[in-house]
Amino acid sequence: MKLYAYCLTEGIDSLPDSLHGIAGATVSLIKVEGFSLLVSDFAADAVPVNRDNALAHAAVVRSVLDQTTPLPFRFGTLVTPPQLQGYVTARRDALQTKLELVRGCVEMSVKIIWDPKGSEEQPSHDAEMKPGTAFLAEKRRQILGSEASGAEAKRIAGWLEEQLADTVRETRINTNTTDKLLLTAAHLVERGSVERYRIAVKNATLVRPELHFLASGPWPLYSFANIDLEFKTLFGVS
Amino acid sequence: MSFEQIIVSGNAEQLEESELSLLETLDHVLNRGLVIAGEITISVADIDLVFVGLNVLLSSVETANEVLQRRKDTDVSA
Repeated sequence: MKLYAYCLTEGIDSLPDSLHGIAGATVSLIKVEGFSLLVSDFAADAVPVNRDNALAHAAVVRSVLDQTTPLPFRFGTLVTPPQLQGYVTARRDALQTKLELVRGCVEMSVKIIWDPKGSEEQPSHDAEMKPGTAFLAEKRRQILGSEASGAEAKRIAGWLEEQLADTVRETRINTNTTDKLLLTAAHLVERGSVERYRIAVKNATLVRPELHFLASGPWPLYSFANIDLEFKTLFGVS
Repeated sequence: MSFEQIIVSGNAEQLEESELSLLETLDHVLNRGLVIAGEITISVADIDLVFVGLNVLLSSVETANEVLQRRKDTDVSA
């Protein structure tokens, strides 16, 4: 029997009896190195990726968001108790530092969608391109976007950062756009600044009426949970 | 100008807002979070999580576009 790990946090000593997670299992609270971890038993070797399980994971992490600032584990994290103990013990200082950095914050998200038909760059139509090749080229352009949209995404990202600078503590922006999605941004926002953040986003939309903004939150810190050591080790990113 | 704000409170009143809220939830849950490196512990049955996450993201964009267009059409006809 393994443990499904939902999140790691601090300052939680009990959970509601009725809290259920993946596969309907009862969620329990365990203490490791002074941290509080929400886990449940999981009998199989792999977690089915389906709507119910994803929502169950989200609901468990969200259940403690009002009381504390949880660091969500990646969906599908299965560990044995010794593995979990070993991980937390080995990275205790980094986890403590991360919790101190994000304490009292939530994640707010913005997606900016645009109509690329108005862009100057048009898809190329090479007369000698075979129909199949032309189809694939167009699909690639739709999925990966164009150079023009990539450049525009970076400009918009810089502009958005300026608009929200006073309300945001940290930002994660992805400008690897698709045909319609210009950028996705995750913002680390202090709880007391959430309303000012929302107003700042709303004001930003007035400046750029040609763009569609999809804002959501507050979320647990999915985009800010990883400790730097893990991220660098896993992805080789400095 | 278009601005959609989903306040994730679980009290969405409109079906399309519920759908967007669902997609946004899936987009956040999948592919993000604290990763336990070393022994691989991410065990997901059969499906490439990145692929699933990308499809969720694309779906959320398409759904958002549909919702925005319906509201735009409603505003025009009103």
